Amino acid sequence: MTVLRSFRFWGLVPAWAIMLFTLIIPVGIVIGVSFAERGAYGGFEWSANIDSYRELLFSLGWTDELEFTPKYLIIIGRTLALGLATTAICMILALPVAYIIAQSPGRWKPLLIYLVTLPFWVSMIVRVYAWLIILGNNGLAEKLWRFVGGGEIDTFLFTPGAMLAGMVYSYIPLMVLPVFAAIEKLDPALLEASHDLYGNRWVTLRKIILPLTWPGLAAGAILVFVPAIGTVLEPMLLGGGKLMMMGTLIQSQFGGARNWPFGAAIALVLMAIVVVLLMLNARRASRKEALL
Amino acid sequence: MKKTLLLGAVLSVAMITQAQAEGTLNIYAWSDSIAPELIEKFQAETGATVNVDGFNSNEDALTKLQAGSSGYDIVTPSQHFVKIMVDEGLLEDIGATDLAAYGQLDDRWKGQWWDPENKYSIPLAYGTAGYTVNRDLYKGPVDSWSVYFEPPAELQGKIASLSYPDEVVGAAQLYLGIPFCTEDKAEMKKVYDLLMAQKPYVAAYTSDNIENRIGSGEVAAHFWWDGNTLRTRNSGANIEYAMPKEGLVGWLDSFVVPKGAENVDLAKQFIDFMSTVENATIQYNYYAHSSPVEIDVSKAAYTPENAPELFPTVPVEFSKACSPAAQDLVTKVWTDLLQ
Repeated sequence: MTVLRSFRFWGLVPAWAIMLFTLIIPVGIVIGVSFAERGAYGGFEWSANIDSYRELLFSLGWTDELEFTPKYLIIIGRTLALGLATTAICMILALPVAYIIAQSPGRWKPLLIYLVTLPFWVSMIVRVYAWLIILGNNGLAEKLWRFVGGGEIDTFLFTPGAMLAGMVYSYIPLMVLPVFAAIEKLDPALLEASHDLYGNRWVTLRKIILPLTWPGLAAGAILVFVPAIGTVLEPMLLGGGKLMMMGTLIQSQFGGARNWPFGAAIALVLMAIVVVLLMLNARRASRKEALL
Repeated sequence: MKKTLLLGAVLSVAMITQAQAEGTLNIYAWSDSIAPELIEKFQAETGATVNVDGFNSNEDALTKLQAGSSGYDIVTPSQHFVKIMVDEGLLEDIGATDLAAYGQLDDRWKGQWWDPENKYSIPLAYGTAGYTVNRDLYKGPVDSWSVYFEPPAELQGKIASLSYPDEVVGAAQLYLGIPFCTEDKAEMKKVYDLLMAQKPYVAAYTSDNIENRIGSGEVAAHFWWDGNTLRTRNSGANIEYAMPKEGLVGWLDSFVVPKGAENVDLAKQFIDFMSTVENATIQYNYYAHSSPVEIDVSKAAYTPENAPELFPTVPVEFSKACSPAAQDLVTKVWTDLLQ
């Protein structure tokens, strides 16, 4: 008995050690740095001040007085909006794709799933550069646009749309897979029952398919949204870096701006947003379970 | 017998790791800045293994050293970052005056403000930052920064800048006649206003992949460096490096050794190797930026006739190491610009 109990303790030690060294200590360091004093040329000195957090809302203006500055809130808001838009478009596109894969003959399924995951085998940077060529001058997008008789166009590149397209492309496999798993479990008899009861396609989608695949959609939404709000590549390369996102802002604070504590503070804000989202999702899921 | 074999195996493994630890040189240099031919030659001559990683901004190099134990034996920052690294105690005193490379060095790079006693650094290349235009798309004059910062109609929406402020703000200061690293807010507000007025005409703020963007005509003007323009022009692009009368922003990259580097002696050996007349000429012909050490002019690929980029006809003002207050203003300009 005691052997079993001690094994329960010691057997879990490796897991706890991994948690400690890869999660708790690094996050602790980030929290510590966010309260530190910034070094003159980057770096930091340990202390306990809230300058970094104050700077999120207030900073010295051009006239040398402390004023409320919404610029970081704007950057955070823009990042969240981009993340939400990416997630929403991924959802709309992934649902039919996942549905078709789920309905396809058994021997096709593994191949189709493999094709969805295939891009992950290629470096993210290479894939984003591919979009530079597609959207660039005289690229595929421009030729297609002219072919369908679109008017004179300057460039698709370096626009918010280009950024969004790149992000949807990068993250959509993360949505397709969980949605596919959910749809696969869907009992076709329920769809037949719906039709038997004079439910048309729209009603069937709304009342049967969506509620039953919702867990998959929710999981996909989190898998897409979380990396989307931390992204750096697409805003820089496809969006032309004209508008800062949280990822690029954090990067600049550790680089050119030489303000590590502020960079750490923004990183924590980003993390707080993610944690709140995950908690809301977990609560929703557990409430649902309680209902069942 | 078995035991001996095992012992032998253990010993040889131990010796191999030992040899690797002694013979590996890790270099962190500007992307594509060191001639691959010379890396191979150095490896053949010394038996050492050389790894080269690339960076695209001085800030990246500084951040990496500040984070501690970067694992690099040689880094090649620009002059103002050498100064910061020295002040921050991040560099090893390599006694540069005792190196053979020091003897090859042009006198005007000795005893400069970033390393007054020549303890820490040996320069490897220098040049300027300015802007480049694509001559297929833009035929007008390029004799002033006004073309870049207050673009004429043909250039509007076809301009690209860098993703960090370092040299861009310097160029704006040259144009406005404001000293580098000023702590005067009113003056920096003018820089901000200039960049803000330019922003609607800027297609992208990015430091990656510049040769494609300007060479292919994706944009018609790009903030860029002298030697990179030269190399891309020589590969067939119809581009021209501007000589703005207000001046160009100067830079000088140096070899330095981070504090705590594992192979200081090998690093010094490499610096000397790179600075011999023969190798410096190979490096010059590859990198296409001016050489601060003596080269064999008869074998040099670039002359004022075929490489006007490297021989500026306008004043060159070297970037300085800004005080924290001045740097904060530069950051404020940039964050407010891209907010």
